[in-house]
Amino acid sequence: MNTRQLNLNSRIRSSSRTVLGLQKAFLAILLVVLAMAVFNLIPETRNNFFSEANFINILKSASIFLILAMGETVVLIAGGVDLSIGGMMAFSGVVVILLMNAGVPIPVAIALTLLMGVAVGAVNAFISVYQRAEPFIITLGMGIVLTGAAQQLTNARSVSSTLPDFQLIANTQILGWVPILVVVMLAVLAVTYWMLRSTSFGRNVYAVGGDYEVAKYSGINVRRTKAATYLICGLTAALGGVMLASQLNSASSIAGENTALYVVCAVVVGGTSVAGGVGGAIKSTIGLLLLGLLTNAFNQLRIDSLVSYLSTALLGIIIVSILWLDSYGRKRRREAV
Amino acid sequence: MVVASAPEAPSAPEALLHVKDVSKAFPGVKALDRVTLDVRPGRVHGIVGENGAGKSTLMKILSGVYEKDSGEIVFEGNVIDKITPVQSMNMGLSIIYQELNLVNTMTVGENIFLGRFSESGGRAGVHAKAKALLKSIGSKVSTYRQVSELSVSDKQMVEIAKALSFDSKLIIMDEPSSSLTADEMEKLVQIIHDLKSKGIAIIYISHKLDEIFGFCDVVTVMRDGRVIATRDVSSITRNEMISMMVGRTIENEFPPRPDCAGETILEIKNINTRKLKDVKLTLRKGEILGLVGLVGSGRTELVRALFGADKVAKKSIYLEGRPVKISSPMDAIRLGLAMVPEDRKLQGLLLGFSVEQNISLAVLARLTEYGFINTKEEAAVGDRQIKALNVRTPSAKTKIRTLSGGNQQKAILGRWLEMSPKVLVLDEPTKGVDVGAKYEIYLLMKKIVEAGGAIILISSELPEVLNMSNRVNTICEGRINGEFDPVTASADEIMAKAFEFA
Repeated sequence: MNTRQLNLNSRIRSSSRTVLGLQKAFLAILLVVLAMAVFNLIPETRNNFFSEANFINILKSASIFLILAMGETVVLIAGGVDLSIGGMMAFSGVVVILLMNAGVPIPVAIALTLLMGVAVGAVNAFISVYQRAEPFIITLGMGIVLTGAAQQLTNARSVSSTLPDFQLIANTQILGWVPILVVVMLAVLAVTYWMLRSTSFGRNVYAVGGDYEVAKYSGINVRRTKAATYLICGLTAALGGVMLASQLNSASSIAGENTALYVVCAVVVGGTSVAGGVGGAIKSTIGLLLLGLLTNAFNQLRIDSLVSYLSTALLGIIIVSILWLDSYGRKRRREAV
Repeated sequence: MVVASAPEAPSAPEALLHVKDVSKAFPGVKALDRVTLDVRPGRVHGIVGENGAGKSTLMKILSGVYEKDSGEIVFEGNVIDKITPVQSMNMGLSIIYQELNLVNTMTVGENIFLGRFSESGGRAGVHAKAKALLKSIGSKVSTYRQVSELSVSDKQMVEIAKALSFDSKLIIMDEPSSSLTADEMEKLVQIIHDLKSKGIAIIYISHKLDEIFGFCDVVTVMRDGRVIATRDVSSITRNEMISMMVGRTIENEFPPRPDCAGETILEIKNINTRKLKDVKLTLRKGEILGLVGLVGSGRTELVRALFGADKVAKKSIYLEGRPVKISSPMDAIRLGLAMVPEDRKLQGLLLGFSVEQNISLAVLARLTEYGFINTKEEAAVGDRQIKALNVRTPSAKTKIRTLSGGNQQKAILGRWLEMSPKVLVLDEPTKGVDVGAKYEIYLLMKKIVEAGGAIILISSELPEVLNMSNRVNTICEGRINGEFDPVTASADEIMAKAFEFA
C-alpha cells in the first residue's frame, strides 16, 4: 500500500472513531426523544415534553450547569478535580445579591463576585497544586466552607434582589425567544472550545493531564498550567452563580447541593476522563444535554407517586450504566488486541 | 560460545529445580533463548549478567508472573506449566524482589502471613509464628511494628521469614544487596549460610562479582537472553566471568564514529545529592560522550539533577563558559539542553497525542501567536521531523500509541531535534528498538554532532558506547570513577571499572 493510501485510510479510521463517539451520544439523546414521543401517543402518559416552553426550559436549566461544566472540564483534563463548584455557585449568588442590596452598582457587584470566584480558585490551586494536597478532599472542603458562609450571610433563608434590573440580565429574550442566559452559555462554550483546541495553553492542559512528567520534561510550566485550570473553574462557577441568581432573582445557600457531583457525572458521561488528558468542551456539552433531557423527561412523566420518587434513582442507574457499558466496550477492545 | 553445562562433582545431589530450553519473546525482543539451568538443594546459585541479559525475565517466569513460550520447568519432580505467583509460593518457591513486596501500612506479623490470617491462628497465632520464624534467622524485629518503620535490611529479614513460612525449598533473591550497608550485608550472608545448611537452595542474582565469589557455590552467566556458561565458582576467574558477560561479537551494526569534537561546551564542576558525590563532567562541542554505569549507579540521578528535575543540594554548571542556573526542566530547555529519557512511555511519550503533537511539544511556544497555536507551522514541523527521521507512520495526525517502539523513539528524538539543542542527553536511546531503527538512530546521533551539537550517551549496551562515542566515562556508586578512550580501551576494562574492580 502506498503512503497516500495509508494516509487516507488512517484519516478515515480516525475520523470515523470520533464520529462514532459522538454518534453514540446522539443515539442516546435520540432514544430519549423517541421514548418521549411514544409516551406522548399514550393518553395516560401524554405530557408537555414537546412544547416550546419545555425546550426553552431544558436549555435554560442546562445553561447554568453547562457554564459550570466548562470550568470543570478544563480541571479534569489537566488531571485535577474541583468539587467546590456547587458551594461556589450558591455563595456567589448570595454575594452578588447582597452586594447589590447594599448599594453596589450591578456591574461592579458582578465583577467583584467573579473576582472572588477566581480568588477561591487560586486558594484551591495553591493548596492542591503547590502544596500537593489531594484536590478531591481540598475542593470538597472548600465547597462546604462556601456553603456554610452563604448560610451565615443569609441566615439560611433565601435572599432576593431589590433591583428589578438584575433579573433582566439572564431573562431578557433576544431574537424573539433566546434568553441572554443561553447566549452567555454559548459564549462560555465557544471560548472553552477554542481555548482547549487552539491555544498553547489548551495543549498544555492536555499534556499536563496526559502525563505530568512528560509535560514537565518538555519545558511546560506544569504547576502554573494546572493552577490556572482551578482559577478558570472558580470563574465559571461564580459566573454560574451570578446567572442563577439573576434567573431566579434570588439566591440561597442550598442552591448548590449535589451540583458538583452532577456536573462531574455529566462531564464524565460526555467522555472526559477523570484520570486526565482526555476530553473536550463539546463532549461535556453532550453529556450535560443528555442528563438534562433525561431529568426533564422523568419530571414530565411524574404521573403517579411511584415514578416521581424513582426518577432520581433512575437517573443514577442510567449514569452508572453508561459508564459501565463504556468501560466494558473498551475492555473488550483491549482484549481483542 | 562456551558449552552450557559444566561437569558437576560426582557427589552433587539431584537437581531441585530443572529449567530446560525455556524461551520467552516480547514484541521486538527475544528475552530468553533456550535457557537451561539446574539448581541443587543446599547450594547458593549465583546468576550474573548485564542489564537486559534476561535474569529478571527468568525469575518472573519461575515465580509465575510471566508465562514461558516454550521449554520445560521441573520443580521437585513436578512439571510446572502454568502457575500463579501464589501457587509457586505454596509449592515452596519464593522470590524476594529488589523492590521488596511488603504492605507498608501493616505490621511485620501481618505481612508474613498476609492472606493466611485465619488459617494461621488469628492475631495471636500469626504473631507467635512470625516471632519464631524471625528468631530462626536471628532477627529481633518486633512482629507488632509497622513495616514502614523498618530499615531496608529488616524488611529483607521479613521477606525471608515470609519465604520460610511457606516452607520454601528455593528462595530467589533479586539483587538483595543493592540497598544494604556493609554491616547489613554481613548479616544477610550469615542468613544465607544458615539457609544453605538447612538444605534450602538459593538463587542469588547480582551485579557485584565480589558477592558471587564471596558466598556462591555455582554461577551462571547470562547474556542476551542466553545462558553463556554455568560453572563452579571455584573453577572460574573474575576476568573469565567478565568477558563472558560482555564479550559479544561486534558486527557492522554501527556507522563510522563521528570525529568533530571541538571546544568545551558544557562543564559540570560539581553536583552533589544524596546519591551523587562530587560529580564532575565536561562535554565538548561535536562530541559524543559515553556514560557507562549500572542501574542504580547514579547515572539517571545525574541526568535528572542536570535537568533540574530533582532538587539538588549543590550544583555548579557552566554552559559555553558561563555559569548557569537550572532549577527546573523549563530552565534547561530554555538554555538549549534536551533529554530523551530512558523510559519512553513514562517520561517521553504522550500516548493520547498525535505524532505531530508529540513532536511539537517542546517548541510549542515558538509556534504560538497571541496564545493560539499556528496549526500550519505545527504541521510543517511535524512533517519535517517525520521526513528527516524517517518515522514510519500512516500520517502526522496518527496517535503515537499505534507506532512501533523504534518509530516512537524517533518521533521523540524529533521533538528535541526541532529545538536544535546545544546539548542532547540520550538515556538508553536504543532500548527496545529493533536493529534497523537502531542504525538509523546511530546515524542521527552522528548528524547531530556533525551539525555542532553535543551528546551525552547513557547506555547499558557497551558495544553501542564503544562504537559511537569519542570518550567514555564510567559512573559507579554516584562517582565518576574512570575515563577511557573507546578506540583503545577494551570492553573488559570499562566494565571492570563500572563494576569497580580496579
